[in-house]
Amino acid sequence: MTTPEKTPTKPLSVHDWDVLISDFQDSNAPRDWFTSVFSLSSLPDLALTSLLKKDFPLPSKLSILVFLDEFSHTLFPQCSHETSDRFIEALRAIVQSPTTDGSNGLKEQALISFTSVLVTVESFSVRHVEGVVDLLLALVNRPNHGFDRQARAVACECLRQLERGFPGLLSDVAGHLWTLCQAERTHAVQAYLLLFTTVVFNVVNQKIRVSLISTSVPLVPFNAPSWMRDGSLGLSQGLGADQKELRRVLAFMLESPYLFTSCAMMEFMGMVVPLASALELQASMLRVQFLGMVYSFDPMLCHVVLLMYTQFPDAFEGQEKDIMRRLMLLSKETQIYLVFRLLALHWLMGLLNKVVLSGEIGKRKSVLEMGQKFHPGVFDPLALKALKLDLVVQCYVSSNGLSGGDKSKSAGELLQECLVSVSDFKWLPPWSSETAVAFRTLHKFLICASTHSDSDPSTTRSLMESSLFQNLQVLLVDMTSKFPILVPVVVSFIERLVNCEKHQWLGERFLQTIDEKLLPKLEKRCLLTAYFPLLHRLAENDTIPPSRLIELLTKFVLSLVDKRGIDVGLKLWDQGTEVLGICRTLLSHHKSSRLFLGLSRLLSLMCLYFPDLDVRDNARIYLRMLVCIPGRKLKNILKPADTVSPSTHPSTFFTVQSPRFRHDPNKSWNLSSYIHLERVTSLLVKQSWSLSLPSLGVGNDGYSIIESKVQVDEIEQDSSQELQLLPDSRRIESGKPTLRVMDAKIAEVLERLRRYFSVIPDLRHMPGIKVRIACTLRLDAEPYNSIWGSQNQSPELDKVDSSSPALFATVLKFSSSAPYGSIPLCRIPFLQGEPHWDKNVTNDEGSLEIVLLENTPKEEEKEGLGGGASVTVELEPREPTPGLVEVSMEANAESGQMIQGKLESVPVGIEDMFLKALAPPDEHEDTIPSYYSALFNALWEVCGSSSSTAHETFALKGGKTAAAISGTRSVKLLEVPAETVIQASELHLAPFVVAITGEQLVNIVREGGIIENILWQEEEEEGGQATASSSMGVTGANRDPLRLTYIGYGDDQEVPMTRSRGKMGKIKMLMFLPPRYHLLFEMEVGEESTLVQIRTDYWPCLAYVDDYLEALFLL
Amino acid sequence: MPSGCSIRALWIINNQDAVVFSRKFPVVEKRWRSAFNTSDGSDPPRLPTDQQLATAFTQRKRREGSARGYGLRVVTQSTKGSDSWLDDPITRHIISLPLSSSEEDDDNNESNENDEMNILWPIVIQSKGLYCILVLPLVEPKEMRDFVSLCDRSDCGSAVGEDLSLSSLLLNMSSITGALMVAHSFGDVTSGETVEPEVVVAASPSVGGLFDSLTGSIGISSRPRPVAAAPVASSSSSSGSSLTGAAALDAPKAGLLDKDLLRNFIASAMPFGTPLDLSLSNIFAMKANGFSSAEPPHQDLKQPAWKPYLYKGKQRLLFTIHETINAALYDRDEIPDSVSVAGQINCRAELEGLPDVSFPLAGLSKAHIESISFHPCAQVPAHGIDKQNIVFQPPLGNFVLMRYQAGCGLGPPVKGFYQLSMVSEDEGAFLFKVGLMEGYKSPLSMEFCTITMPFPRRRIVGFDGTPSAGTVVTTEHSVEWRVLGSGRSLSGKSLEATFPGTIKFSPLKSRRRGDGDDDDSDGEGTENVVNVEEVLVQKMNKDLPAVEMEEPFCWQAYDYAKVSFKIVGASVSRMSIDTKSVNIYPTTKSPVEYSAQVTSGDYILWNTLGKAPSAAVV
Repeated sequence: MTTPEKTPTKPLSVHDWDVLISDFQDSNAPRDWFTSVFSLSSLPDLALTSLLKKDFPLPSKLSILVFLDEFSHTLFPQCSHETSDRFIEALRAIVQSPTTDGSNGLKEQALISFTSVLVTVESFSVRHVEGVVDLLLALVNRPNHGFDRQARAVACECLRQLERGFPGLLSDVAGHLWTLCQAERTHAVQAYLLLFTTVVFNVVNQKIRVSLISTSVPLVPFNAPSWMRDGSLGLSQGLGADQKELRRVLAFMLESPYLFTSCAMMEFMGMVVPLASALELQASMLRVQFLGMVYSFDPMLCHVVLLMYTQFPDAFEGQEKDIMRRLMLLSKETQIYLVFRLLALHWLMGLLNKVVLSGEIGKRKSVLEMGQKFHPGVFDPLALKALKLDLVVQCYVSSNGLSGGDKSKSAGELLQECLVSVSDFKWLPPWSSETAVAFRTLHKFLICASTHSDSDPSTTRSLMESSLFQNLQVLLVDMTSKFPILVPVVVSFIERLVNCEKHQWLGERFLQTIDEKLLPKLEKRCLLTAYFPLLHRLAENDTIPPSRLIELLTKFVLSLVDKRGIDVGLKLWDQGTEVLGICRTLLSHHKSSRLFLGLSRLLSLMCLYFPDLDVRDNARIYLRMLVCIPGRKLKNILKPADTVSPSTHPSTFFTVQSPRFRHDPNKSWNLSSYIHLERVTSLLVKQSWSLSLPSLGVGNDGYSIIESKVQVDEIEQDSSQELQLLPDSRRIESGKPTLRVMDAKIAEVLERLRRYFSVIPDLRHMPGIKVRIACTLRLDAEPYNSIWGSQNQSPELDKVDSSSPALFATVLKFSSSAPYGSIPLCRIPFLQGEPHWDKNVTNDEGSLEIVLLENTPKEEEKEGLGGGASVTVELEPREPTPGLVEVSMEANAESGQMIQGKLESVPVGIEDMFLKALAPPDEHEDTIPSYYSALFNALWEVCGSSSSTAHETFALKGGKTAAAISGTRSVKLLEVPAETVIQASELHLAPFVVAITGEQLVNIVREGGIIENILWQEEEEEGGQATASSSMGVTGANRDPLRLTYIGYGDDQEVPMTRSRGKMGKIKMLMFLPPRYHLLFEMEVGEESTLVQIRTDYWPCLAYVDDYLEALFLL
Repeated sequence: MPSGCSIRALWIINNQDAVVFSRKFPVVEKRWRSAFNTSDGSDPPRLPTDQQLATAFTQRKRREGSARGYGLRVVTQSTKGSDSWLDDPITRHIISLPLSSSEEDDDNNESNENDEMNILWPIVIQSKGLYCILVLPLVEPKEMRDFVSLCDRSDCGSAVGEDLSLSSLLLNMSSITGALMVAHSFGDVTSGETVEPEVVVAASPSVGGLFDSLTGSIGISSRPRPVAAAPVASSSSSSGSSLTGAAALDAPKAGLLDKDLLRNFIASAMPFGTPLDLSLSNIFAMKANGFSSAEPPHQDLKQPAWKPYLYKGKQRLLFTIHETINAALYDRDEIPDSVSVAGQINCRAELEGLPDVSFPLAGLSKAHIESISFHPCAQVPAHGIDKQNIVFQPPLGNFVLMRYQAGCGLGPPVKGFYQLSMVSEDEGAFLFKVGLMEGYKSPLSMEFCTITMPFPRRRIVGFDGTPSAGTVVTTEHSVEWRVLGSGRSLSGKSLEATFPGTIKFSPLKSRRRGDGDDDDSDGEGTENVVNVEEVLVQKMNKDLPAVEMEEPFCWQAYDYAKVSFKIVGASVSRMSIDTKSVNIYPTTKSPVEYSAQVTSGDYILWNTLGKAPSAAVV
């Protein structure tokens, strides 16, 4: 239907059409520019308008015609009768217009396109078809007309397509068409003949009762057969054309094939062959007429003959050999395109298959004698070589089956002969195409006697006993031993077999042979590196006794141990790791009992003598696993995570397992009662509270962060919390240094601090400093079993499990409300349960209280071998505060059950935050003690007298952020004997001691020998520093509103008094608090009591320090 | 459904993987849809749009390594369902394209695998010049399903002689053969390998020899006539080494695709998707000339479709035998040399009417003809050629009458050996000793002879040596010895020449890699290998790329010298045409001329001291 409201006044321009057509080609539909103005159904009308316009350029008209043809299914699905009428009228107008020079193409294209539309679109009525046919017949009905012979040929082809689209359409006028065929003498005769043949074909095919030679019905005006007009298909059908007529017609058609081009010949034969068989014509007639075409170098003609041959094999009795010989020779013609040479070989293979399947021994014999003619030539392209080798193999196998295999060459000889043509696969890189062809041939050779389609398993067995297989094995072993470069290819060759359901045995057999034959050869050489991939495959296969492999590896390791002087470094590590990899493969694929002796020897050899440390370590682990873990479980552990699924592995181990159990929440809720995650070192103070301050608060009094203005990447890092919280007012312009008066000492202090701060990582721009808390994960066997044991459905597993259960693939996730950053999760591949854990239970309960020191270190020792898994919780604190880390866990039980739940939280104390301050990397080792001492003094100075340095900022590492220091001071008097102080310090704070002064103290500590590498100052330099600090302290203390020294010792007045009594010296300690704060202790140790002077640049920590000191020294 | 060949669609893709031309044939597509519907009961997916096709093509290219693909099952890359999984080299020419289902584009590979019918197969691929031509012929739905199930087999690869195999599929599918022909014709059209139809060259048989006048065309009744395809054009595809040259030659011509030309070609050659005539020269001639009423058809005989025009003018009959010698000369006891001749007889019959021509193939018994095949116009009896008399009705223009493979009856025209011995890693000494035209008598004459030593992977920095005859030219990667310069032909006598010399290369680049990660093999290499050459070979081969399946072997892995020459006067296979016994019926008095020329193809002297590829002699 035309849509008038959308039909525009202005028709489409040439350019519009171009765009529209390319839109259609790209996406099968018009785009918006078109659809917004026009409707899709108006397109045919638009096209017709453009076509009929005189001034429209010819190329565009042609494009439109092709467009209508190509997209007819979109354009014409529901076109109205008027449009159809217009359509036919338009065609008539174009065809009947006087021909001017150059518009020839238009007429022909119009005929083609309109016909195509008519055939494809079903909405046209018979009337329309008749109209077009009428037009075409009028054109056609002028035989030998010289001028428009090409147009007549096209019209014939159009009629042929219509006849094809509406079978029987032209059956009534067949007689006329025949007359035309006989009359036509120009080259257009081919089109007439094809048209007539199609009509005859349809008459026979549809069994239409009609005379093929009668011309009683007029040609024009054309009327479709009455049955077609009525739509009553069934009525018209009869027995078909008269047989006599048909034979006459066919005889006429068979006279003319020399007139055809090869394409037309193919089309023609496509119709004649079915006709001939329908007529039960003597096929030998066809043979005589057409067999000669097989000698043409036109591949289409050859193929026509082949199709005829496959259709009437009997008619070609005795000629099979000629045909196949011809195909073979065709493949040798270097002048034709390679693809046709390949095709010729494929055809030949197809024919051979037919012959072999037909089972006629005589034929087979004669055909298969050709076998040896297929040997590739040296300049044959590799693709051709590959196919020729296939044929050699095929002929060999079939003839072998025929003669019993005695007469022909031995398989080995033949194989060698074959491989010569790609011989250089042996030393070319394994990825070369020659190699690919060679191994493809090997594969074909191997499996041709036992194909996938043949379901008889005995063929595989007989193949394995055959000489062919034996030969191949020898060949493979020889090749592998001579050319290590081939190992990867051999491995994939074997793998290809092993992965095949039918030929798995063959692959395994190969591996066995390699084990028997190749390994002894390799032993002599001790050059195993290239063979590792192969050894892995050997290790994987449990049909092969591992003893030989282990022996070989042992020898190899021995040779490595001997060579240690020569080979150093990575290579050794690499080879050692490879060997261990094979051991691992062995462990996971074989029964432990089978391995135990040899492997434990090898592993212990490695862990004792192997030159590389890492390899020794790993060997030790494997050895321990081999010794300690029962086989079944061991295999499970060693399996890479993704292969632990029942479907991938057919071995018996997995058959006992039912599909994975899902997580059972009822059983997981009390997870923490039998799975414990504990700190290795318990906290001194079990912090039941934590002072949580908004970061802003810290900024106000402790730190001020000053952004340097050049910072660019600030914007991206909008997640940076400091940036959000920092008010604008606090941004002091630090870009320009302000002039300040300072003395030399301050300058030195500042210089020192600048150097120091430049080492501290800037948390906002790089990974910060990590705090690691060592923990242990334990599984309590008994409560676990009582909860989960009942689920174990496998009795076999139960036996093992009742003693000690195990968890696999445990994943611990951590989270915390404290500012610890994101805490990486932790994976424990394997966790074995422990039978009794009484001690731990008490430990667990008591953990809320403050725990005594003696408890922890011993436990650690005891755990060494059997116990839990060690877990490290890695914090990246934003602020050095204590807190709790919550732990949730996921794990798999042996049965595949999933265990999920929360564990006890891990407490983090202030002492976890204590880290050793960083030293610049360029600091010499010898000067480090003095560096720390000087740093201590500098920080001490700065934290005490903020006045002189308050405006100073110190750039952190990377230089993007700077820190300012604002110090706080505090004191604590500890009324404990000096001995206790020293012991506790040595035990807990040793790493942080930077200096000890005072002869007496120095002597005591030095004797202890625990604290080392610090600055020893026998003389107590009393002088200016102490007084200075104390005097400044007064002002500082007064100024500082948030000083948290309490319990009455805070008063500075008392200090000199206590200190004067039996003082022994001072211990100076410097604790770094991540991310960039500090805590400084100066302990003035007296015999009866000790005064701890505390200074820090992070005042909130003082709240915890007090508790800590008390726990440390007083309890 | 009758067999035959029909094309559902064709696409031309440029080197940027964009579709530059596409054509769908709805008439054929309708047949496909109804056949699919009958067999399956459901509608097949629509043909892809150009964009979808380009996407699918790019994806396949990524998966299969190149536009053509691996051809063989490659260990790590080939996946189930892909072409290379079939493990057959012909999948480099007949490919499948899995289509993404309508809306989703990229990441739905898995769903595709389930939806087997969303595969386009068979697509015949032909790349020529800058373009790839994809042709999708009509096949039966069952055949496509067979193919898909072949691809999806999970076993270790098809064995020869199985019931369902690619071979038996190909044997039954004539449409693939036809599609390949179509693809090649389009390749010729796009690459512009057809000569422009307007060219007219006046006949002047005395100038430039016979061959020149063959390639140049002679007008028919003074009207512009197309020049038929050059007689030797097809032989350029015979050997890989010359192929690249031809491709390079095409590239500049093929700048922009002439869509009008393609559309015209389609309208005449395959208006509805069924190819009827793929002869470019005929089609373009008809397009250019049309027909006039003054050109009546033959009085009694029907004019064949492949001969739309009849000749008018001075009559004559021209034959040229053109032979190409391929030789692998080893100079070793254990490997026999192989010399073979690929020949063809080109013909140009300027004869009026529709005459039959016949002549005895005199050389057929003398020459060791291995195979022989003919132009479709030749009438070959059903039992093949044995009477040695060939009858044909010549088409117009130049055409190849017959092709043959033969032995070299006269013996190799260039004999000798080439030895190259590496003194150190970068220095070698070589020696040539060649004899030209030994035993060749007049009128055979050699026009030129050049021997080239290519070193594609080494850079020549120094060269020293003087040949006993001829001149030497060195380039960065080759040494060229012009034994016989052009203009000084060798006729009636033989020539012996030697050429000793030394050559120096710049140090191997791959060494820097060799010291690092390839440590192991180096270490073992020194223990296994005895001489410097083997070490060198190992080093050189480490980074050798794999060659295409169209090459006979990896040329770069060997030392060889390539001989090129041209011989005129007679054939070397002893094939000849006796001009006196050529019969034309109906009899006319027209002169018959005959000429012959021989050129070298892959004529290789292998380094006697190195490795050389060979093949078993049976």
